[in-house]
Amino acid sequence: MGWDTLLSARALMGLSLVFHMFFTPLGIGLPLLLFIVEGLGLKTGDPRYRELARSWTPIVGLLFAVGAVSGTVLSFELGLLWPRFMAYAGGIIGMPFSLEGFAFFTEAIFLALYIYGWNRLSPLAHWLTTIPLVVSSAMSAVFVISANAWMNTPDGFRVVNGEVVDVDPWDAMFNAAWLHQAVHGTLASYVVTGFTVGAVYAWLIWRKVPAVNPKLGLQVAMAMAAVSIPLQIVAGDFAARRVAELQPVKFAAMEGQYGTERGAPLRIGGIPMDGETRFAIEIPRLLSYLGYRDFDAEVLGLNDVPEDERPNELLTHLSFQVMVGGGFALLFLAGWYWVASWRRRREAWLPGRALTWALVAGGFVSFAALQTGWFVTEFGRQPWVVYGYLRTSEGVTEQDGILGFFILFTALYVVISIALVTALLRWPHNGPKREPAARPAGSEVPGVA
Amino acid sequence: MSPELLAAGVALGAVMLYAMFGGADFGGGVWSLLASGPRKDEQRLALERAIGPVWETNHVWLILLVVTLFTVFPAAYAVIFEALYLPLFIALLGIVARGAAFAFRHYGRRDSRLAAQSLRWFSWASLATPFFFGTVIGAVTAGHLEVEGTRVLSGPFEGWLRPFALMCGLIGMLICAFLAAAYMVPRTEGALREDFRRRAIGASLALGAATTLAIPVAAADAGRFAERLDDVRAVGAMALTAVLGLTGLWALWARRYRLAPLLAGATVAGVVATWGLAQHPYLLADALTYEEAAAARATVSAFLVALPIGALILVPSLLLLYLTFSREKLRGEETAH
Ligand code: HDD
Ligand code: HEM
Ligand code: HEM
Repeated sequence: MGWDTLLSARALMGLSLVFHMFFTPLGIGLPLLLFIVEGLGLKTGDPRYRELARSWTPIVGLLFAVGAVSGTVLSFELGLLWPRFMAYAGGIIGMPFSLEGFAFFTEAIFLALYIYGWNRLSPLAHWLTTIPLVVSSAMSAVFVISANAWMNTPDGFRVVNGEVVDVDPWDAMFNAAWLHQAVHGTLASYVVTGFTVGAVYAWLIWRKVPAVNPKLGLQVAMAMAAVSIPLQIVAGDFAARRVAELQPVKFAAMEGQYGTERGAPLRIGGIPMDGETRFAIEIPRLLSYLGYRDFDAEVLGLNDVPEDERPNELLTHLSFQVMVGGGFALLFLAGWYWVASWRRRREAWLPGRALTWALVAGGFVSFAALQTGWFVTEFGRQPWVVYGYLRTSEGVTEQDGILGFFILFTALYVVISIALVTALLRWPHNGPKREPAARPAGSEVPGVA
Repeated sequence: MSPELLAAGVALGAVMLYAMFGGADFGGGVWSLLASGPRKDEQRLALERAIGPVWETNHVWLILLVVTLFTVFPAAYAVIFEALYLPLFIALLGIVARGAAFAFRHYGRRDSRLAAQSLRWFSWASLATPFFFGTVIGAVTAGHLEVEGTRVLSGPFEGWLRPFALMCGLIGMLICAFLAAAYMVPRTEGALREDFRRRAIGASLALGAATTLAIPVAAADAGRFAERLDDVRAVGAMALTAVLGLTGLWALWARRYRLAPLLAGATVAGVVATWGLAQHPYLLADALTYEEAAAARATVSAFLVALPIGALILVPSLLLLYLTFSREKLRGEETAH
């Protein structure tokens, strides 16, 4: 298989989305963290909370800025790479994208007020700016995920003689996969933020890098992680049941299920290839139960699906294993942290060596779960771009030279990533060590506080 | 007025707002590149501090334009992006490089190599991006792109490398430079203000010359467009724009510091409006009208219902943002944000 236009376009789209997905979970989760931290500061009057939030400000600004340009890339690439898909789908699923545009706008405005408002707004007004941030970032996730869910379970239109008719943008938006994807996909951001921030502080504490109130930061982050991860697993189980019902082929690929059978076993691990899932640990009849809440339910196997309508089961299954494995590992980690800190309820307790390394790894694992979760959704939908209606190969551009842009963008992303890592590694030395004496609130800009 | 026409008006409005706000940001990069004289560093720093709080927001006008296009005019979005993918890809590279570079410089440590390198990327990308967007506008207007339904027949180099499109690229760059300099005038003081005032005057003269020259170029290379410029409404808009431009020049000259940026913004809005009027009823000249390109009525109506509801949240927030940050004077010296 050569690097034809379709493959280049898919590679570029996938790369750009993966890049985007490094920033957006933090863009959604950090506002909530800031809301909690500043709120605690106001409630308790303890200045350490405000210092903590303030020390995060340059990071939030940097991540959001890079996240926004990476998102712009996506909105262009939908047209540059998938014009046929957009001509088909734009008028049906444009609605959530437009609404997302408004959510971004609100987010950008209040983020500017947050970042540049430290000396200009009163503490209360400053805390209040985090509320529209939390709401609009979660909304933007819900909207864009709704567009993705529509690709999985298209709704809100009919096709008559090859023409799209009877479009109902609201039905399209609230399609069958919308709920489970929106809940699971948005919660994922809070999971990732909790574990990533926790990982940063665990590392700073272990290396004794001077930072602002790192222990407090670790606790708040791990609280967020511990609350969100069980919810995420419950939501994941819900998602799996919905997929079993709505996209049985994707479900079969996720689970490495080849033969259609009753009482199908759950396979943990294993390599599905050439009509057989090898080396898996099998738990009898559990898959039927997990998918359909009935130990004897029939599960569709890939062998009963025409060859040209199957996704790549290897990629889908492995991605799914990484996400689920990651999810349970994170649950264990959150439990470990809180049990350890509860058992030694002394002021001076800090995570030991093993726990520190586990926490640092947790940050990476959370991102791995998020990205592979998207792989499940995207690879599992293949070969369709609009499930059951439009094949990916029918959606792609007819122009040449996409491979060149794939190479260019890869290079650009590498440069940006290096610069970003360089900038982030300097952060703890860079950030404000102490909050400068607060100026009287709102003194500069009358009428705003 | 049909909902489709109203939606086309919304799209034109988004182009206008992106030009007026996003354009000024690009212009900031242009003047960073061209910073000169004894106050070179002060100029750069003042520009950066002006852009800092608002650039994200200004950038979102572009997003709004793109999502409006693909929600309400999906066929036009598909055709234009497919036919003009080369300049659009290049502009996109510019946007990424520029945004990332600005962020690194602004939030990073200033004395680092990273910051110096970022400044270079930021400045060059700020110059290139509006140029390529300009060529896209020119190509969409000139009527040299061939399509059949939503299939593109013309090749990748067609349309945007012709005289009129290149002229539009130049105008794009000049609009940005003009706006940035004019907006900086009331926000700086003393010698720094004089620097920007002189730059604004120069850019204003250049923009006037380029838009005037664009008319004969259009006559030669974009016949239909030039014909439609004869329309009464287009002539009216052109005349009004010329008056606004000249008044703006006077305001700069006479040191009416508060008035000058308002007139500058209005002039650019006038240029875009004139273009929009002459473009009517086409989205892609001679190929696709806004009615042909429109999505189903249900979608267009839903979009028009969502718009004012969104605006209800947006407009007050935007006012809050601009009021919070536009009142302070920018000096070319360091302060922590
Ligand atoms: C922190 C990240 C994270 C974690 C720990 C999990 N997931 Fe997940 N999962 C995602 C992050 C994610 C996601 C954000 O990447 C996806 C992609 C699409 C979506 O809506 O959420 C996803 C999709 C996704 C899908 C596909 C939905 C579809 O295609 O419609 C299923 C079936 C699951 N997940 C199931 C699970 C289960 C059973 C988990 C138990 C441990 C789990 N996920 C943990
Ligand atoms: C956010 C996380 C997402 C990730 C990580 C992701 C990942 C990917 C990947 C890896 C591909 C290549 C597919 C393949 O080669 O088989 C792809 C394709 C694509 N994705 Fe997603 N995706 C995400 C969300 C979305 C969303 C929200 C949309 C919304 C419209 C979307 C639209 C597309 C399109 C149009 C393609 C090209 C067609 C295809 O190959 O299926 N994706 N994505
Ligand atoms: C489900 C997957 C997605 C999620 C959860 C998501 C979420 C977000 C978030 C939270 C932001 C704000 C920036 C930040 O905080 O870093 C953002 C930015 C952006 N995203 Fe995505 N996004 C997703 C996929 C997409 C896709 C497929 C597109 C393409 C149409 C897209 C287009 C954009 C744009 C244009 C921006 C920039 C907005 C701005 O300037 O503020 N996103 N996204």
